[in-house]
Amino acid sequence: MELSLLGAAAIAVAVVNIALRGEALLGTATEGTRSLFDVALTSVVVGLGVGRLGAMLGDGVNPLAHPGDFLIVRGGVATGWASLAAMATAAVVGRSHLWAVLDGISVAGVAGLAGWHAGCLVRHACLGTPSQLPWAMTQPGSTITRHPVELYAALALALLAVGLAVWRRYRSPATGTAAAFALAGAALVRLLTEPLRPALGSGPVGWYLAGLVAGATALVWRWRVARLAGTAPPLAG
Amino acid sequence: MDTLGRVRPPRIAVLVLVAATVGGCSSPQPGSTDISEVPATSAEAMTALLAASAEPVVLNVWASWCIPCRSEGPLLARAATEFAGRVRFVGLNVRDDQDGAGAFIAEFLAGAPIEHMADAAGDIPAELGGSRAVPLTFFYAPGGELIELHTGVLDERTLALQIDELLARG
Repeated sequence: MELSLLGAAAIAVAVVNIALRGEALLGTATEGTRSLFDVALTSVVVGLGVGRLGAMLGDGVNPLAHPGDFLIVRGGVATGWASLAAMATAAVVGRSHLWAVLDGISVAGVAGLAGWHAGCLVRHACLGTPSQLPWAMTQPGSTITRHPVELYAALALALLAVGLAVWRRYRSPATGTAAAFALAGAALVRLLTEPLRPALGSGPVGWYLAGLVAGATALVWRWRVARLAGTAPPLAG
Repeated sequence: MDTLGRVRPPRIAVLVLVAATVGGCSSPQPGSTDISEVPATSAEAMTALLAASAEPVVLNVWASWCIPCRSEGPLLARAATEFAGRVRFVGLNVRDDQDGAGAFIAEFLAGAPIEHMADAAGDIPAELGGSRAVPLTFFYAPGGELIELHTGVLDERTLALQIDELLARG
């Protein structure tokens, strides 16, 4: 069963690589493709580790008493802590060109998330709450049709990634605004699709709200900074 | 551009110390909860229990020596608490000893509304249509119809989806 998680992760990593190469071809890459891929991969690995640790501690499992459990990723990853750690790692690793690096991995990061969600087809974990819509799907042996919620998220994130790439290519947004928009957009997609996912408790809704607010705040801040410096194009239009 | 390999060792030591402190405070000590002996059961008794149950049943097969079982233990405990009264959770300890089972329950499942039973030979899961692998989780509709058999570690989404499936069929 762990191989299906690896398969989905491999898809996500491949999509990140393709997105970075795509941006290099478009001429919007702010750093070398290889360097940005290293930043992205390092951020994901650290984020995954911190998220796994967070899930273990949240469940009352002592990671020092049971260190092997750290590798049982399917046991759970705390999404909020993982995301925070990934972004912090990207910021630390790319601190010499902070906003350029964050902008540089924004499209790839969102595209990678889309790839991860699309990997639900490999993990057999696409289904959400019951639905009567024409495209609703069932799990084997069931007659209950359900939203393919992970595919909704994959599609929305893919559209977000394409939109970001086009924006960066043709509008040259102010430094830092692409990264902020990516954060806000990804958080919004998760927030909108969360009600369609069966979950224990309320899920990490608070984290998604925090991501949306942080992204929106950073978007406005970075645009205003550039505006004051006289380097900002209009935010929209 | 720097890589993580250049993070200074003292900062790593501080992180480990913080993790150890927080980790040491967050989990109960094994054996600190008084757990009575896990009662033995048989395939016939288990089948009768499933057939007689008016609620859906989640039957989780585990062992204290099963490392992945530790990952899903707290998850099942949360689910059992959240769905208490609507879904019945049964834990079947297989090929284990009472001390190990008791310590596992005390550490990962204490306080959760889960009915614990033991199958020393470990034959019951296979007789129910599963295998000798652990962990295994059976999802039964009221009356004992097997809806889904999950092999391996349960994650939250899968557990939530299968419980939703059980409740939707009810």
